[in-house]
Amino acid sequence: MAAEDVQKTLEELSRDLQESKARLEEAQRIAQVGHYYWNLIENRVIWSDELYRIYGLSPQKGPIDMAICREMIHPEDRAFVFRNAEEALHSEARPDIEHRVVRPDGKVRTVHALGSVKRDASGRPYEMFGTVQDITDRKRAEDVLQRTQFYLREGERIAHIGSWAFNESGHYWSDELYKIYGLDPQNGAPTVEQYLNLIHPEDRASMAETIKLMQEQHCGHDRIERIVRPDGQLRFVRAVAVPVVEHGVFKGFIGTTMDVTEQELLTQKLRREQAYLEEAQRLTHTGSWAANFVTRQNFYVSDETVRMHGFVLSEGPVSFEHFHDTVHPEDRAAVKAALESATRAGTDYDIEYRICRADDGQIRFFRSLGHHNPSGEIGDYVGTTMDITEQKRAEEERERLRQLESDLAHINRVNMLGELATALAHEVKQPIAASITSANACLRWLDRHPPDLKRARAAAARIEQDGNRAADVIDRLRSFYKKGSPPKREIVDVNEMVREMSALFKTEAVRQSVTIHSAVDADTPKILVDRVQLQQVFMNLMLNAIEAMSDTGGELTITARPNSQDHIIVSISDTGVGLPQESSEQIFDAFHTTKPEGTGMGLAITRSIVESHGGRVWATANQGAGATFHFILPIEDEARA
Amino acid sequence: MKSATVPTVFIIDDDRGMRQSIQDLVESVGLRAESFATGGEFLKRKPTNDPSCLVLDVRLPQMSGLDFQRQLAETGMRIPIIFVTAHGDVPMSVRALKSGAVEFLTKPFRDQDLLDAIQQALERDRAERDRQAEAHDLRERYGTLTAREQQVMTLVVSGMLNKQIASEIGASEATVKIHRGNVMRKMQAGSVVDLVRTSDKLKLSPHK
Repeated sequence: MAAEDVQKTLEELSRDLQESKARLEEAQRIAQVGHYYWNLIENRVIWSDELYRIYGLSPQKGPIDMAICREMIHPEDRAFVFRNAEEALHSEARPDIEHRVVRPDGKVRTVHALGSVKRDASGRPYEMFGTVQDITDRKRAEDVLQRTQFYLREGERIAHIGSWAFNESGHYWSDELYKIYGLDPQNGAPTVEQYLNLIHPEDRASMAETIKLMQEQHCGHDRIERIVRPDGQLRFVRAVAVPVVEHGVFKGFIGTTMDVTEQELLTQKLRREQAYLEEAQRLTHTGSWAANFVTRQNFYVSDETVRMHGFVLSEGPVSFEHFHDTVHPEDRAAVKAALESATRAGTDYDIEYRICRADDGQIRFFRSLGHHNPSGEIGDYVGTTMDITEQKRAEEERERLRQLESDLAHINRVNMLGELATALAHEVKQPIAASITSANACLRWLDRHPPDLKRARAAAARIEQDGNRAADVIDRLRSFYKKGSPPKREIVDVNEMVREMSALFKTEAVRQSVTIHSAVDADTPKILVDRVQLQQVFMNLMLNAIEAMSDTGGELTITARPNSQDHIIVSISDTGVGLPQESSEQIFDAFHTTKPEGTGMGLAITRSIVESHGGRVWATANQGAGATFHFILPIEDEARA
Repeated sequence: MKSATVPTVFIIDDDRGMRQSIQDLVESVGLRAESFATGGEFLKRKPTNDPSCLVLDVRLPQMSGLDFQRQLAETGMRIPIIFVTAHGDVPMSVRALKSGAVEFLTKPFRDQDLLDAIQQALERDRAERDRQAEAHDLRERYGTLTAREQQVMTLVVSGMLNKQIASEIGASEATVKIHRGNVMRKMQAGSVVDLVRTSDKLKLSPHK
């Protein structure tokens, strides 16, 4: 019975033992922990199954060959492992090492080996028992983590970004964050008060307010603030804080801080430069822009561009179409054509046009320069637009002055003629008056009883002298005139001169309600004449024509064409009062005038000039009203070329 | 009214032919004539006591005829002037005539016009000279009066009777009569009216 019981108990015990052993095996397999037993007396080593598996071997019964075991330890770790084991035997130290093993298939695993040495009463070690855990995966994860942390640290360093975390377990600052604030990591993360002291005094109050909101309402922030480092350096930082909430429960904050000093300074510089540019544009009334003419979109429009067109800056962006609508209706077609042709050809353009300002409708003159952006899409242009109204006005003013000047020159010429006539009159009158007086005296000497012949003869001699003197004066004048201006011959385009003179008399003609027409034959050859004298001829004949119509208004027609092989003929026709009754030849005589204000010299001078050029001038009565003056001038061979 | 002397016509004209012909014309009617190229030359000549006049060209090289006319007036030289000019205008002639010119002629002029003007100028000068000679005469006669006689003359001219004059000067009426007789004789006055006229010409005031 007892034996049965014992048997039974033994069986039960054996079963329990088997079960325990199986459970241990199972536990070791799951935990990847194997164990060994080293009998130091017999130098036998027993491995658990799991340890075989860790080493990549099939489990086997009985002791394992130490040589195999030694062989499988990574060559670089081998010396270290056995030295460690040796030390453990001779000292109290507990073996605790990590080393690598090389499995038969060549794979390397990292293991953690722990051991304990048993000693007898005399202290002699007789047995070592230990566990070996495969920690390869954990090791690998640790490496990855380390590497990641390294990269993060490096990344923060390079990007000048520091990070931090604030939660129940404490306040963490990354190395770079300490660096940004110029603090020593040894002293740990600063308190809120210490932190606020680093903020620039002007930003401190608002930062304190932000921190208060973070604490009370758990809200994050993203702001740029100035800090003053302990070494006194001023830096700009961008601080971002985000609340961490897990499963609806607030856990704390994480955040980053970036040193943006360089960017901020650059931004400020850009802002300043932008302001200067705006100011320069405002002063010069020059706007700049970038747009696409095909998609009809503005990419950029400077403030001055907006203002110049009469739009209000505060009312937001102005569309391409709105700008386009300000173009003066009369110039719209021309602007459209210019832009389209430039866009098609991909070329630059330079146009002038008028706009009606959007706000007050004022008309302004603009000049727009567009530069085709070659790297951009079709129709991409950048350009400037200038308000040139003032220049335009100045130009018009200059033109008006030029006109006035030429009018004055004309008046001067007329006045000079008057001066000349007065001087001539005085010079000639003096000897003539003397000879008349002498003649009177002569007659009186003859009338005496008896006649005083001697005195009469003397008087007659003086008459001759003074008569000659008068002739001399006129000769002198003519020779002076010849000396003063030798004949200048140049090649003159008569058609061109007709246009010039028509333009010159335009104002005068309008004042007298006279319309000037010119019908010039394109084939009219150029002629060799004194340009100024020919102008004088035109001037005299045209002034005569306009004056003939001064009461009635009318039409002044100038024609020029080749008359024959050798001559051109110019006709100046009016619809005025017509020719006087007398012979039309007489009107060309000096001092012959039908006008109360006339000098009677105009036509005489005209004839003199035309004849000195080998030409002829005459007048004919028109079929209807008015008269026509014609002159012909020879075509010199030199002028034909 | 005594002028048996031959009057002289002075001519100033910078144009030689002109001044010779005018001189000849003047001489052809039996007058004396002298001509000068400038006003300065004329002023250097010794002044004449005979009737004279001046034919003056407006346009002269240094000083215009009109300015020369003013200069003559300022130096007290009184001579009738006839202007001649080759190109006169209305304002110029008005100015000349206002300043006492006899005539303003434009060259060439009719010979008779100039001779008439000269005649008129000489008449004017002659009358002026007579008037001046008479005034000179009267002043000389007045100078022969004693102080007492001059006093009596003044009082007579003022219309006082002998008796009044006597009480005024503190003398007897008989003494006044003698003085009065002397005054009438010395001043060659036939009556009190004559004496008053003489006194007017002398510009005597009643109370000296």
